[in-house]
Amino acid sequence: MIGDNHALGDKLPAAGRNVTARRAGREDFALGETARGLAENRPGTRPVLVLRSAEFRKGREPGWRELDALLSRAEKRGVASLSTVELERLPLLYRGALSSLSVARSIALDRNLLRYLENLALRGYLTVYGPQTGILASLAEFLRRGFPAAVRNARWHVVVATLAILVGVGAGYMLVAGDEDWFSSLVPAGVTGGRGPSSTAAELRQDEIFAPWPGFTRSFVVFANSLFRHNATIGILTFGLGLAFGVPTLLLLVYQGLVFGAFLALHERHGLILDFMGWVSIHGVTEFLAIILCGAGGLLVAEKIVFPGRISRLQNLAKNGRGAATMAAGAVLLFFVAGLIEGGFRQMVDTTMGRFAFAAVTGLGWFAYFLSGHGKTNASE
Amino acid sequence: MEKQTPANSLDRIEGLLGARARSRRVIVSPEGVPLRVEIADIGERLAAFVLDMFFWLGASILFYLVAAFLLLRGSTGGVAVTLCLFLAFLLRNAYFAHFELAWQGSTPGKRICGLKAIDREGGPLTPAAVVARNLTREVEVFVPLGLMLSLSGGAAVWETLSLLAWVLVISCLPLFNRDRLRAGDIIAGTMVIALPRHALASELARTDQDYRFTHAQLQAYGSFELQVLEELLRRPDSSETRRTLDDVASKICRRIGWADPVPHSQARRFLEAFYTAERDELERGQLFGRYRPHKNSPEASRAGAS
Repeated sequence: MIGDNHALGDKLPAAGRNVTARRAGREDFALGETARGLAENRPGTRPVLVLRSAEFRKGREPGWRELDALLSRAEKRGVASLSTVELERLPLLYRGALSSLSVARSIALDRNLLRYLENLALRGYLTVYGPQTGILASLAEFLRRGFPAAVRNARWHVVVATLAILVGVGAGYMLVAGDEDWFSSLVPAGVTGGRGPSSTAAELRQDEIFAPWPGFTRSFVVFANSLFRHNATIGILTFGLGLAFGVPTLLLLVYQGLVFGAFLALHERHGLILDFMGWVSIHGVTEFLAIILCGAGGLLVAEKIVFPGRISRLQNLAKNGRGAATMAAGAVLLFFVAGLIEGGFRQMVDTTMGRFAFAAVTGLGWFAYFLSGHGKTNASE
Repeated sequence: MEKQTPANSLDRIEGLLGARARSRRVIVSPEGVPLRVEIADIGERLAAFVLDMFFWLGASILFYLVAAFLLLRGSTGGVAVTLCLFLAFLLRNAYFAHFELAWQGSTPGKRICGLKAIDREGGPLTPAAVVARNLTREVEVFVPLGLMLSLSGGAAVWETLSLLAWVLVISCLPLFNRDRLRAGDIIAGTMVIALPRHALASELARTDQDYRFTHAQLQAYGSFELQVLEELLRRPDSSETRRTLDDVASKICRRIGWADPVPHSQARRFLEAFYTAERDELERGQLFGRYRPHKNSPEASRAGAS
């Protein structure tokens, strides 16, 4: 095909200044710009065009190809599949491709080249600046620093969430203490577990507060797990509904408090309030903390939506949303711990004083944990 | 009006050639170089999500099978079921986070669809952002759906409806913003881009010129026309391509006043020569800041006059 063209081209009339059906020789090509200038000035000689962008490409292309190959491997099998030498080359080649892109944007009109370079630079950027840590290393970092720092940063939101729960507890207690019928309207049937205004003190004592330990598998595996999944769902909901301007978050927090207050009033009537508090506190410290953190996360998101301040809502959310979500993720972990305590340890520790002691230890433990992680490792968890 | 730059002339060509047009954003790399990214379509993202769901369900079913196996063999069936439920919960929460960390913002579904989650501002994708965008998915989809399935009876109609409304509103959120952000993206400061691969084709410019064009003739076109010509010349050879090239060659001849007729068999060669000469002309102009976006642009005369 090319040969045909060439033969035909040679047969074309050589007359007229438009047509010069001659192939440039290799030696002309080597002359580059000089040859071009000559050809332009003197019509009739063999014209040779050497494009700056083509020369530029010729010089840089091996680097691009090398980067391309490295990126393809890193994308397919992970950055870990590159050797040490290749890992040292990667950032250099990437910056080379970036500078090539900048140059090409100003000197080249070859669309294919521009698109390729743009794509290559973007792929390089994603690989070089991609997450370098695996899920386990991230988890360790999260436990050591990320989680406590996120909680400390949102301390005022934690305070507000705590107040919301306390308001709920107070309201629930007063409502049920005044009229026991409120109990069944406040507490959904699924949560009561057969407890209610008609329960006697003996029932509450035997079936609930000092119920016999149901055995390892039932308490640690079955019960703890179902508690965890139920509580984690509520917690995540509390956090996520912060997107709806935080109103549902506050309502959920108050409602959790209401239910607790209703139970308090119920046990108070039977003179079991101290025993009940002990029974609840052993896991309740951790569980309420988790709900408060979820709520604080939701409130933080809501605050940035409602009061964006000087930067846009989107930027604000991007800046603060990660901290809020970190807090919610940590809260899910707290729910897990609370589920374990509630399902297992609660009935193993069977004196009220012992339970209070356990609760105090967990409470102090969490407090110390959230104050930790300013820089060094902490293992109080 | 938007300033004409080489970058948005690329957009115009893609529009003309009927290429898939995704909307674009510019992120600035930490080195300070602006990079254009293509925002993933709703359809692509849905497909990736459905694929991921498929993989996740497959893995969960595998766990359930293991549970059934243990049930048949062991005595502690209840334990196996609970463990499986717990593992499925963990699996769902860890699946997205793990893959987005290990595969630089891709999950298996995203990888099949050629998508990636990236930081909106061009910074590195942090583990906190990955956790944030995936934890929010629980609230967006799974929790409401789970609650809906657990509700029953006539009393729950309103609850079901409100949950359904929540799911609908939240899942339609990407339709209402230009960057196609879902709630998780908004909170985490991420966005999902499409990352199609572009191969580097061979250089089209020919150093040996069979034809010569005058300065005046090369003023006829701008870079838009040049890049459309490039696209035509890069098409795979076929009788249809040859016909198109023939048409284009005769159109160019008419416009630049080319006297000698170009024979059919020479059309490609003629166009390649013209492409090279035109590109040389325009690129040299651009070196001195005379960028001519298209043939009708006012700069054409200024560039011609100089």
